[in-house]
Amino acid sequence: MWDQPLIRIGLIVGSLIVAIYILRRVRQAKVQIEDTIFWLMFSAVLLVLAIFPRIAYWASRLLGFQSPINFVYIVVIFLLLAKQFFMSLRISQLDSKVRILTERIALNEEKVERDKLDL
Amino acid sequence: MSKLLIVIPAHNEEANIVQVVQDLIRHYPQYDYVVVNDGSRDKTAALCRAHGYHLLDLPVNLGLAGAFQTGLRYAAENGYDCAMQMDADGQHKPIYIAPMLEELEDGADIVIGSRYLTVKKPKSLRMLGSYIISWSIRLTTGRAVCDPTSGMRMFNRAMVEEFAQNLNYGPEPDTISYLIKNGAVVKECQVEMGERTAGHSYLNFWTSVQYMIKMSISILLIQWFRKRDTETPYPERSL
Repeated sequence: MWDQPLIRIGLIVGSLIVAIYILRRVRQAKVQIEDTIFWLMFSAVLLVLAIFPRIAYWASRLLGFQSPINFVYIVVIFLLLAKQFFMSLRISQLDSKVRILTERIALNEEKVERDKLDL
Repeated sequence: MSKLLIVIPAHNEEANIVQVVQDLIRHYPQYDYVVVNDGSRDKTAALCRAHGYHLLDLPVNLGLAGAFQTGLRYAAENGYDCAMQMDADGQHKPIYIAPMLEELEDGADIVIGSRYLTVKKPKSLRMLGSYIISWSIRLTTGRAVCDPTSGMRMFNRAMVEEFAQNLNYGPEPDTISYLIKNGAVVKECQVEMGERTAGHSYLNFWTSVQYMIKMSISILLIQWFRKRDTETPYPERSL
Protein backbone atom coordinates (compact mmCIF):
# COMPACT_ATOMS: atom_id res chain seq x y z
CA MET A 1 0.00 0.00 0.00
CA TRP A 2 1.02 3.54 -0.56
CA ASP A 3 1.40 4.45 3.09
CA GLN A 4 3.88 1.61 3.64
CA PRO A 5 6.94 3.42 4.96
CA LEU A 6 9.32 1.30 2.86
CA ILE A 7 7.89 2.46 -0.49
CA ARG A 8 7.98 6.05 0.65
CA ILE A 9 11.53 5.80 1.97
CA GLY A 10 12.58 4.17 -1.31
CA LEU A 11 11.01 7.00 -3.27
CA ILE A 12 12.71 9.65 -1.13
CA VAL A 13 16.10 7.98 -1.49
CA GLY A 14 15.58 7.58 -5.25
CA SER A 15 14.66 11.21 -5.78
CA LEU A 16 17.59 12.42 -3.67
CA ILE A 17 20.00 10.24 -5.67
CA VAL A 18 18.67 11.72 -8.93
CA ALA A 19 19.11 15.28 -7.62
CA ILE A 20 22.58 14.69 -6.18
CA TYR A 21 23.82 12.93 -9.31
CA ILE A 22 22.60 15.65 -11.68
CA LEU A 23 23.97 18.45 -9.48
CA ARG A 24 27.35 16.71 -9.40
CA ARG A 25 27.34 16.66 -13.20
CA VAL A 26 26.63 20.42 -13.13
CA ARG A 27 29.54 20.89 -10.76
CA GLN A 28 31.89 19.07 -13.12
CA ALA A 29 30.52 21.13 -16.06
CA LYS A 30 29.45 17.90 -17.76
CA VAL A 31 25.82 18.86 -18.45
CA GLN A 32 24.06 21.95 -19.74
CA ILE A 33 21.82 23.71 -17.26
CA GLU A 34 18.80 23.44 -19.62
CA ASP A 35 19.03 19.67 -19.41
CA THR A 36 19.12 19.52 -15.62
CA ILE A 37 15.83 21.34 -15.05
CA PHE A 38 13.61 18.39 -16.01
CA TRP A 39 15.46 16.01 -13.68
CA LEU A 40 15.41 18.42 -10.75
CA MET A 41 11.66 18.94 -11.18
CA PHE A 42 11.13 15.19 -11.56
CA SER A 43 13.00 14.58 -8.35
CA ALA A 44 10.99 17.32 -6.60
CA VAL A 45 7.69 15.74 -7.70
CA LEU A 46 8.72 12.32 -6.38
CA LEU A 47 9.88 13.87 -3.14
CA VAL A 48 6.61 15.76 -2.60
CA LEU A 49 4.55 12.62 -3.35
CA ALA A 50 6.63 10.60 -0.89
CA ILE A 51 6.53 13.16 1.91
CA PHE A 52 2.83 14.03 1.54
CA PRO A 53 1.07 10.75 0.65
CA ARG A 54 -2.30 12.47 1.17
CA ILE A 55 -1.84 14.11 -2.25
CA ALA A 56 -1.85 10.67 -3.89
CA TYR A 57 -4.93 9.59 -1.89
CA TRP A 58 -6.81 12.74 -2.74
CA ALA A 59 -5.90 12.60 -6.46
CA SER A 60 -6.72 8.91 -6.83
CA ARG A 61 -10.17 9.45 -5.26
CA LEU A 62 -10.75 12.43 -7.52
CA LEU A 63 -9.71 10.59 -10.70
CA GLY A 64 -11.17 7.23 -9.73
CA PHE A 65 -8.01 5.12 -9.34
CA GLN A 66 -8.35 1.94 -7.29
CA SER A 67 -5.19 2.59 -5.35
CA PRO A 68 -3.06 5.66 -4.68
CA ILE A 69 0.05 3.84 -5.87
CA ASN A 70 -1.56 3.70 -9.33
CA PHE A 71 -1.70 7.46 -9.32
CA VAL A 72 2.03 7.58 -8.54
CA TYR A 73 2.72 5.17 -11.44
CA ILE A 74 0.66 7.29 -13.82
CA VAL A 75 2.49 10.47 -12.83
CA VAL A 76 5.89 8.84 -13.34
CA ILE A 77 4.90 7.24 -16.65
CA PHE A 78 3.47 10.49 -17.94
CA LEU A 79 6.58 12.49 -17.03
CA LEU A 80 8.90 9.92 -18.61
CA LEU A 81 6.79 9.70 -21.78
CA ALA A 82 6.78 13.48 -22.12
CA LYS A 83 10.56 13.51 -21.68
CA GLN A 84 10.90 10.75 -24.26
CA PHE A 85 8.81 12.72 -26.71
CA PHE A 86 10.88 15.88 -26.38
CA MET A 87 14.10 13.88 -26.55
CA SER A 88 12.91 12.38 -29.83
CA LEU A 89 12.42 15.85 -31.25
CA ARG A 90 15.82 16.91 -29.98
CA ILE A 91 17.62 13.86 -31.42
CA SER A 92 15.95 14.46 -34.73
CA GLN A 93 17.23 18.06 -34.77
CA LEU A 94 20.72 16.94 -33.75
CA ASP A 95 20.65 14.35 -36.54
CA SER A 96 19.86 16.95 -39.14
CA LYS A 97 22.53 19.29 -37.77
CA VAL A 98 25.20 16.59 -37.98
CA ARG A 99 24.10 15.86 -41.54
CA ILE A 100 24.29 19.53 -42.55
CA LEU A 101 27.70 19.94 -40.90
CA THR A 102 29.09 16.83 -42.60
CA GLU A 103 27.81 18.01 -45.97
CA ARG A 104 29.32 21.44 -45.33
CA ILE A 105 32.75 19.94 -44.56
CA ALA A 106 32.66 17.81 -47.71
CA LEU A 107 31.68 20.79 -49.85
CA ASN A 108 34.42 22.97 -48.32
CA GLU A 109 37.01 20.26 -48.85
CA GLU A 110 36.02 19.87 -52.46
CA LYS A 111 36.44 23.63 -52.89
CA VAL A 112 39.95 23.51 -51.37
CA GLU A 113 40.96 20.59 -53.59
CA ARG A 114 39.58 22.26 -56.71
CA ASP A 115 41.55 25.43 -55.93
CA LYS A 116 44.71 23.32 -55.60
CA LEU A 117 44.11 21.67 -58.98
CA ASP A 118 43.58 25.06 -60.60
CA LEU A 119 47.00 26.22 -59.38
CA MET B 1 42.30 52.67 -25.55
CA SER B 2 41.51 48.96 -25.31
CA LYS B 3 40.90 47.07 -28.47
CA LEU B 4 37.18 46.27 -28.51
CA LEU B 5 35.29 43.72 -30.58
CA ILE B 6 31.55 44.15 -31.05
CA VAL B 7 29.87 40.77 -31.49
CA ILE B 8 26.56 40.96 -33.36
CA PRO B 9 24.68 37.65 -33.26
CA ALA B 10 22.11 37.66 -36.07
CA HIS B 11 19.32 35.18 -36.64
CA ASN B 12 16.94 36.03 -39.49
CA GLU B 13 17.72 39.74 -39.33
CA GLU B 14 17.76 40.67 -43.04
CA ALA B 15 15.51 43.64 -42.31
CA ASN B 16 17.85 45.27 -39.76
CA ILE B 17 21.40 44.01 -40.18
CA VAL B 18 22.53 46.41 -42.94
CA GLN B 19 21.28 49.48 -41.09
CA VAL B 20 22.92 48.41 -37.81
CA VAL B 21 26.33 47.55 -39.29
CA GLN B 22 26.33 50.55 -41.64
CA ASP B 23 25.81 52.84 -38.65
CA LEU B 24 28.78 51.22 -36.88
CA ILE B 25 31.08 51.48 -39.89
CA ARG B 26 30.15 55.07 -40.70
CA HIS B 27 30.06 56.62 -37.23
CA TYR B 28 32.20 54.33 -35.07
CA PRO B 29 35.12 53.17 -37.23
CA GLN B 30 37.35 52.99 -34.11
CA TYR B 31 35.60 49.78 -32.98
CA ASP B 32 35.95 46.40 -34.67
CA TYR B 33 32.87 44.29 -35.13
CA VAL B 34 31.92 40.82 -36.32
CA VAL B 35 28.50 39.61 -37.39
CA VAL B 36 27.77 36.01 -36.34
CA ASN B 37 25.09 34.62 -38.61
CA ASP B 38 23.34 31.95 -36.56
CA GLY B 39 22.16 29.68 -39.37
CA SER B 40 19.60 32.19 -40.64
CA ARG B 41 17.06 30.98 -43.20
CA ASP B 42 16.74 34.41 -44.78
CA LYS B 43 19.23 36.58 -46.66
CA THR B 44 21.23 37.79 -43.60
CA ALA B 45 24.48 36.08 -44.67
CA ALA B 46 24.09 37.05 -48.34
CA LEU B 47 23.55 40.70 -47.40
CA CYS B 48 26.65 40.71 -45.18
CA ARG B 49 28.78 39.19 -47.96
CA ALA B 50 27.40 41.60 -50.56
CA HIS B 51 28.37 44.58 -48.36
CA GLY B 52 31.73 43.07 -47.39
CA TYR B 53 31.01 42.97 -43.64
CA HIS B 54 33.10 40.88 -41.26
CA LEU B 55 31.07 37.70 -40.99
CA LEU B 56 31.22 34.41 -39.14
CA ASP B 57 28.70 32.20 -40.88
CA LEU B 58 27.47 29.27 -38.75
CA PRO B 59 26.19 26.47 -41.01
CA VAL B 60 23.55 25.40 -38.46
CA ASN B 61 21.52 27.26 -35.86
CA LEU B 62 23.19 27.16 -32.45
CA GLY B 63 21.01 29.60 -30.55
CA LEU B 64 22.14 32.87 -28.98
CA ALA B 65 24.57 31.26 -26.53
CA GLY B 66 26.41 29.38 -29.29
CA ALA B 67 26.48 32.33 -31.67
CA PHE B 68 27.82 34.63 -28.97
CA GLN B 69 30.43 32.11 -27.88
CA THR B 70 31.65 31.90 -31.48
CA GLY B 71 32.16 35.67 -31.44
CA LEU B 72 34.05 35.51 -28.14
CA ARG B 73 36.32 32.74 -29.41
CA TYR B 74 37.08 34.97 -32.38
CA ALA B 75 37.89 37.80 -29.95
CA ALA B 76 40.10 35.56 -27.80
CA GLU B 77 42.00 34.13 -30.74
CA ASN B 78 42.56 37.51 -32.36
CA GLY B 79 43.93 39.28 -29.32
CA TYR B 80 41.10 41.62 -28.39
CA ASP B 81 41.18 43.25 -24.93
CA CYS B 82 37.44 43.23 -24.52
CA ALA B 83 34.26 42.30 -26.32
CA MET B 84 30.65 43.31 -26.21
CA GLN B 85 27.35 41.83 -27.25
CA MET B 86 25.11 43.93 -29.46
CA ASP B 87 21.75 42.95 -30.88
CA ALA B 88 21.28 42.96 -34.65
CA ASP B 89 17.84 44.54 -34.43
CA GLY B 90 18.95 48.09 -33.72
CA GLN B 91 17.79 48.17 -30.08
CA HIS B 92 21.30 48.76 -28.78
CA LYS B 93 22.66 52.19 -29.60
CA PRO B 94 26.41 52.41 -30.26
CA ILE B 95 26.58 55.87 -28.71
CA TYR B 96 26.67 54.15 -25.30
CA ILE B 97 29.73 52.05 -26.15
CA ALA B 98 32.18 54.77 -25.08
CA PRO B 99 30.80 55.25 -21.54
CA MET B 100 30.55 51.47 -21.09
CA LEU B 101 34.15 51.04 -22.20
CA GLU B 102 35.19 53.71 -19.71
CA GLU B 103 33.51 51.79 -16.88
CA LEU B 104 35.23 48.61 -18.01
CA GLU B 105 38.65 50.25 -18.06
CA ASP B 106 37.88 51.60 -14.63
CA GLY B 107 38.26 48.06 -13.37
CA ALA B 108 35.07 46.12 -14.04
CA ASP B 109 34.93 42.59 -15.40
CA ILE B 110 31.47 42.99 -16.88
CA VAL B 111 29.58 46.17 -17.74
CA ILE B 112 25.85 45.93 -18.39
CA GLY B 113 24.11 48.57 -20.48
CA SER B 114 21.21 49.08 -18.12
CA ARG B 115 17.89 50.70 -18.96
CA TYR B 116 16.88 51.07 -15.31
CA LEU B 117 19.88 52.34 -13.41
CA THR B 118 18.68 55.93 -13.04
CA VAL B 119 15.30 55.45 -14.71
CA LYS B 120 12.54 53.76 -12.71
CA LYS B 121 11.66 50.28 -13.94
CA PRO B 122 8.01 50.29 -15.05
CA LYS B 123 5.69 48.02 -13.04
CA SER B 124 4.20 46.15 -15.99
CA LEU B 125 3.57 42.49 -16.75
CA ARG B 126 6.39 42.60 -19.29
CA MET B 127 8.79 43.73 -16.58
CA LEU B 128 7.63 41.11 -14.06
CA GLY B 129 10.29 38.71 -15.31
CA SER B 130 12.97 41.34 -14.95
CA TYR B 131 11.85 42.01 -11.37
CA ILE B 132 11.93 38.32 -10.49
CA ILE B 133 15.44 37.88 -11.90
CA SER B 134 16.72 41.05 -10.19
CA TRP B 135 15.27 39.81 -6.93
CA SER B 136 16.80 36.33 -7.36
CA ILE B 137 20.24 37.81 -8.00
CA ARG B 138 19.83 40.14 -5.01
CA LEU B 139 18.86 37.21 -2.81
CA THR B 140 21.70 34.92 -3.86
CA THR B 141 24.55 37.40 -4.28
CA GLY B 142 23.51 40.41 -2.22
CA ARG B 143 24.21 42.65 -5.20
CA ALA B 144 21.71 44.77 -7.09
CA VAL B 145 21.55 44.35 -10.84
CA CYS B 146 18.89 46.74 -12.12
CA ASP B 147 18.55 45.40 -15.66
CA PRO B 148 19.70 41.77 -15.67
CA THR B 149 17.97 40.88 -18.96
CA SER B 150 19.66 43.63 -20.96
CA GLY B 151 21.50 42.03 -23.87
CA MET B 152 24.00 44.88 -24.07
CA ARG B 153 26.96 43.59 -22.08
CA MET B 154 30.69 44.23 -22.24
CA PHE B 155 33.37 41.81 -21.03
CA ASN B 156 37.07 42.24 -20.27
CA ARG B 157 39.80 39.92 -21.52
CA ALA B 158 39.61 37.50 -18.58
CA MET B 159 35.85 37.16 -19.02
CA VAL B 160 36.17 36.77 -22.79
CA GLU B 161 38.54 33.86 -22.28
CA GLU B 162 36.31 32.28 -19.65
CA PHE B 163 33.19 32.61 -21.79
CA ALA B 164 35.02 31.39 -24.88
CA GLN B 165 36.06 28.03 -23.54
CA ASN B 166 33.49 26.82 -21.02
CA LEU B 167 30.14 25.07 -20.89
CA ASN B 168 27.19 26.82 -19.23
CA TYR B 169 28.44 30.32 -19.99
CA GLY B 170 25.47 31.62 -21.97
CA PRO B 171 25.07 35.40 -22.15
CA GLU B 172 22.20 35.26 -19.66
CA PRO B 173 21.45 36.56 -16.14
CA ASP B 174 22.26 33.22 -14.48
CA THR B 175 25.85 33.39 -15.72
CA ILE B 176 26.08 36.96 -14.39
CA SER B 177 24.83 35.86 -10.98
CA TYR B 178 27.27 32.94 -10.94
CA LEU B 179 30.19 35.21 -11.80
CA ILE B 180 29.22 37.81 -9.17
CA LYS B 181 29.18 34.99 -6.62
CA ASN B 182 32.69 34.08 -7.76
CA GLY B 183 34.03 37.58 -7.26
CA ALA B 184 33.61 39.18 -10.68
CA VAL B 185 33.07 42.95 -10.63
CA VAL B 186 29.83 43.75 -12.45
CA LYS B 187 28.93 47.38 -13.10
CA GLU B 188 25.99 48.97 -14.82
CA CYS B 189 25.86 51.96 -17.08
CA GLN B 190 22.64 53.83 -17.90
CA VAL B 191 21.63 53.46 -21.56
CA GLU B 192 18.54 54.05 -23.61
CA MET B 193 17.26 51.38 -25.94
CA GLY B 194 15.21 51.71 -29.09
CA GLU B 195 12.28 49.56 -30.10
CA ARG B 196 12.82 46.81 -32.64
CA THR B 197 12.27 48.51 -36.01
CA ALA B 198 11.54 45.49 -38.20
CA GLY B 199 11.41 41.71 -38.10
CA HIS B 200 10.15 39.94 -35.02
CA SER B 201 11.58 38.80 -31.71
CA TYR B 202 11.68 35.09 -30.97
CA LEU B 203 10.27 35.76 -27.49
CA ASN B 204 6.52 35.25 -27.25
CA PHE B 205 4.45 34.79 -24.11
CA TRP B 206 5.05 31.07 -23.69
CA THR B 207 8.79 31.14 -24.41
CA SER B 208 9.10 34.08 -21.98
CA VAL B 209 7.46 32.04 -19.23
CA GLN B 210 9.76 29.09 -19.97
CA TYR B 211 12.76 31.44 -19.94
CA MET B 212 11.72 32.84 -16.57
CA ILE B 213 11.28 29.40 -15.00
CA LYS B 214 14.64 28.28 -16.32
CA MET B 215 16.41 31.44 -15.11
CA SER B 216 14.81 31.34 -11.66
CA ILE B 217 15.68 27.68 -11.03
CA SER B 218 19.13 28.25 -12.41
CA ILE B 219 19.89 31.35 -10.30
CA LEU B 220 18.21 30.24 -7.09
CA LEU B 221 19.29 26.61 -7.08
CA ILE B 222 21.74 25.37 -9.68
CA GLN B 223 24.37 28.11 -9.53
CA TRP B 224 25.23 27.15 -5.94
CA PHE B 225 26.62 23.85 -7.12
CA ARG B 226 28.86 25.03 -9.95
CA LYS B 227 32.60 24.92 -9.61
CA ARG B 228 34.68 27.52 -11.39
CA ASP B 229 37.49 26.10 -13.47
CA THR B 230 40.10 28.68 -14.30
CA GLU B 231 43.07 26.44 -13.78
CA THR B 232 44.28 26.31 -17.36
CA PRO B 233 44.72 29.72 -18.93
CA TYR B 234 43.33 30.19 -22.40
CA PRO B 235 46.51 30.23 -24.54
CA GLU B 236 47.60 26.89 -23.05
CA ARG B 237 44.44 25.12 -24.11
CA SER B 238 43.96 24.19 -27.71
CA LEU B 239 40.72 25.47 -29.06
